[in-house]
Amino acid sequence: MSKIKGPLKFFFILAGILLPFKAMAQNVVRYNLTVTDTMVNYSGKAKRAIAVNGQIPMPTLTFTEGDIAEIVVHNKLKESTSLHWHGVFLPNQEDGVPYLTQMPIAPGETFTYRFPVIQNGTHWYHSHSGFQEQIGMYGSLLFLKKKDDPTFRKGIDDLPQVPLILSEWTDIKPENVHRMLHNANDWFAIKKGAVQSYTEAIQAGHFKTKLKNEWKRMLAMDVSDVYYDKFLINGKDESWLPQFKAGDKVRLRLSNGGASSYFWLTYAGGRITVVANDGNDVEPVEVDRLIIGVSETYDIVVTLPEEDVAYELLATPEDRTKSASIYLGQGRIQLNSRLPKLNYFEGMKMMNGMMNMDGSMDDMGMDMSYQKMDMNIVMYPEITGNTPIKSGGLKEQNGHSTHLNRDITTLNYGMLKAPQPTTLPKEAPVREFRFELTGNMNRYVWSLDNKILSETDKILINKGENIRIVLYNGSMMRHPMHLHGHDFRLLNGQGEFAPLKNVLDIMPMETDTLEFSANMEGDWFFHCHILYHMMAGMNRVFSYKNQTPNPYLPNKVWAYKKLQSESNMFHFMAENDFASNGNDGKIMVQNTRWSLGAEWRLGYHDEHGYETEVHIGRYIGKNQWFMPFIGFDWRYRKQHGGHEKNLFGQTSTKDHRAVLSLGAEYTLPMLIQLQGEVFIDGKIRFQLMREDIPVSPRLRGAFMVNTDKEYMTGFKYILTRNLSISTHYDSDMGVGVGATLNH
Amino acid sequence: MTLIKSTVIWLVALATMVCSAQLKNQKTLSAKIHGNCEKCESTIENAGDIKDQSDVDWNKETKMAMISFDSLKTSIDEILKRIALAGYNNDIFLAPTDTYSRLPGCCQYKGAVKARGKSAGFNMDSETLDHVYSNQKMVRQETHLLSTVFDNYFVLKDALVNSDGITASASAKSLLRTIKDVQMEKLPTDVHMVWMKVLKPLEQDIGHIAATENINRQRVHFASLSRNIYEVLKISKPEVPVYYQYCPMASDGKGANWLSKEEIVKNPYYGSVMLSCGQTVETIKQ
Repeated sequence: MSKIKGPLKFFFILAGILLPFKAMAQNVVRYNLTVTDTMVNYSGKAKRAIAVNGQIPMPTLTFTEGDIAEIVVHNKLKESTSLHWHGVFLPNQEDGVPYLTQMPIAPGETFTYRFPVIQNGTHWYHSHSGFQEQIGMYGSLLFLKKKDDPTFRKGIDDLPQVPLILSEWTDIKPENVHRMLHNANDWFAIKKGAVQSYTEAIQAGHFKTKLKNEWKRMLAMDVSDVYYDKFLINGKDESWLPQFKAGDKVRLRLSNGGASSYFWLTYAGGRITVVANDGNDVEPVEVDRLIIGVSETYDIVVTLPEEDVAYELLATPEDRTKSASIYLGQGRIQLNSRLPKLNYFEGMKMMNGMMNMDGSMDDMGMDMSYQKMDMNIVMYPEITGNTPIKSGGLKEQNGHSTHLNRDITTLNYGMLKAPQPTTLPKEAPVREFRFELTGNMNRYVWSLDNKILSETDKILINKGENIRIVLYNGSMMRHPMHLHGHDFRLLNGQGEFAPLKNVLDIMPMETDTLEFSANMEGDWFFHCHILYHMMAGMNRVFSYKNQTPNPYLPNKVWAYKKLQSESNMFHFMAENDFASNGNDGKIMVQNTRWSLGAEWRLGYHDEHGYETEVHIGRYIGKNQWFMPFIGFDWRYRKQHGGHEKNLFGQTSTKDHRAVLSLGAEYTLPMLIQLQGEVFIDGKIRFQLMREDIPVSPRLRGAFMVNTDKEYMTGFKYILTRNLSISTHYDSDMGVGVGATLNH
Repeated sequence: MTLIKSTVIWLVALATMVCSAQLKNQKTLSAKIHGNCEKCESTIENAGDIKDQSDVDWNKETKMAMISFDSLKTSIDEILKRIALAGYNNDIFLAPTDTYSRLPGCCQYKGAVKARGKSAGFNMDSETLDHVYSNQKMVRQETHLLSTVFDNYFVLKDALVNSDGITASASAKSLLRTIKDVQMEKLPTDVHMVWMKVLKPLEQDIGHIAATENINRQRVHFASLSRNIYEVLKISKPEVPVYYQYCPMASDGKGANWLSKEEIVKNPYYGSVMLSCGQTVETIKQ
């Protein structure tokens, strides 16, 4: 699928020579990794990506417990990079988080990671710099058990095994994806068919549901945020493992290296036996399907039942837009049925019931935890049945398609049990932390206790303590929370056999408890592993008191500020409507709390006038419905006859005006923006406005009315990510049609 | 000569017309696709056809399909995969077993197959076995006079989980019979006391459920029925663990309980709408 272009051939050859080179002295296993820019073509368009040793995913690195790992990274990019060893116990300076455990590996530089391998299991590695993980920098990392390991499991650890790493690809640059998410750009929803507009709601008989949803100030929710062009297993959306035959049992070591996708795993050859999770053995458990959270790993065992049939392992992203397949064995391919499309309005209805008017969530007294109650299940047609479709659709519905299978066994965390006791040192002092996972979709702000990394200090802990963390997810999305450098026990009801994990997928309204022994000093990242949530600041750092200095990071105070600023970057958006009656547009620069915006309406002649408003404001509160601001207005419009008066009897001076103002914006139910402004010349203005009313999947309505007796109403039809056609009526400028460009 | 020339021109013109009415970069292949009847034909062709990409013409006598497609836009594999996903085996792909079993009867070209893994049939077998097993035990030990009552309660509960009012009504009738059959005097004293207390309301609730096929009315009575069964079950100590479960949304937000043999939550008050709503509040075992 991905074709590596010419100039990289050299590195290919270089890698070919270097890769097999393993220095066996002192049991050191060395890999050389060369990081280069490359072009790939997953979707029909050539796009930039990053390859390591000429390949995507990065090469699988295999070690045996007891080895010393030595990984030499040659950065041939024009930007800095880093590699993080996900789920691995190692000295803090080898953990690979730029500005936290080391300085970034600069362009042209070579950096060597070296650490003893003191555990076994399925792990993976990825870049922790910017968005590099999304464009190719992920790979499998296997630590094998020694043959004489007392925990060696016959029938599992001796099976043939294949590492599989799941990921996704988008043709849109990840920096742009991030920007679009912050700007509540609904292009992704359009591509996914998940806009949940009013016409769709009416067709599905869910008009009231949609109305109530907007009344509660919610934007349409989806199970995931980004539209992807392809989903991949080991870099391909369809591939073979032909080496297996009937009767074979195969151990698949799966890692989810996706930036933001959860994957459902189903197998056409029967049930799936789960034998390990996040690199730790669990008591084997048989299921029909499981969901693998972002950055989790699962080891599963599957069987090939019959001769001359290849069996499909299907990985379906949670939003079910597409899928990736790998076929085990040779012969005709036994397919899995595809997961049917989500019933979005059922999900919306449930969300309405759970959401309080103040934006907090009400679990109605259910103590939810450990994935046991999947509230998304209301959206799964394979469990709950299809919603009746009121139309003579093109595809004929045969009467049997409503046959349901409610007996699908889905893995949840409650079913994971460690084979050995995992209890922590009993005499150690216990420290408890509580975090609420918070966020709002409208501005794509994700945080802990409504604070992002740049608003918090490092959390200090002592070596030798038992740390207990209680997490409550008060946001509307699930979050895979990952702790660096440690495994934690998940208190899932298995007592002393609580499973060990390093990623906790926590669903909305769940409360989960985890605990770990603070036994490895350093600064350790604790964050949501959805790349775009992490970059939005949903992070913390656990820092051991009195730690020895890190030779790779001499100035830690400065570096932490740098790390903080990376996850609270300003993002930019611009939009202009080139209409027959003038130009309407705005630009905005925003971060988590601050917003600087300028709007303009420029007519083509003096009668229509020219005006611009600039606002600098700060969003207040968890839901960010309130934003006080200071503003500056300038306008000019040639008027015939007397001055107009506003609703308060104040004379408006449209023909010449340049004033400062103090104001505030507040989001009302139905997502209407109420804006009140007092100008230094004593004038007062109130305004109601709503843009982006989702009339149909691609049609948006807008209106505005204010106390200066100005009003506007219009429609916009979205053609592409950057282009719409629009029409509006404006009290100053009259009717106009035009094209809207947005960035 | 001119005649030949004009004929050639005519032929070329004709050929171009035919071509332009068809797909670009067209390739045509034939492939065998299993199926039986007209219904199969429309499903197969619907699954295969995509405008400006592919066109499938299946013949039910020969089981052969002529597949034309734009070779730059798609491939024979992609088309055959879609057809297999709609339920029809071919030379490259086998249909998913669950999709096949949902085909109309006339389309089940292999005859009814048993689905792999945990199919409905498999379940039923194990359940019947369980039932027989517990019956034998009861006969032997005579301590669990109430087992049949509980078993019938679970049958009723499952009917409500499936939102099946007719089966619920029928199973309520047999539950009522088994309740009347209970030889109270053989019950241990403590169980006897509780049984006496709940017998009247039990009979009333079950009677109401039996009398209607309206699932909503049945569920109202099932809430109080479950509470009383719980009282009995708790004191009589079942041989296998039973889970007392609770959904706070049931009974219009007042909340309601039920009993289940499985720990996994399958809510009888909502059926498919909120199947997994609820939690185990107590595990009752010996």
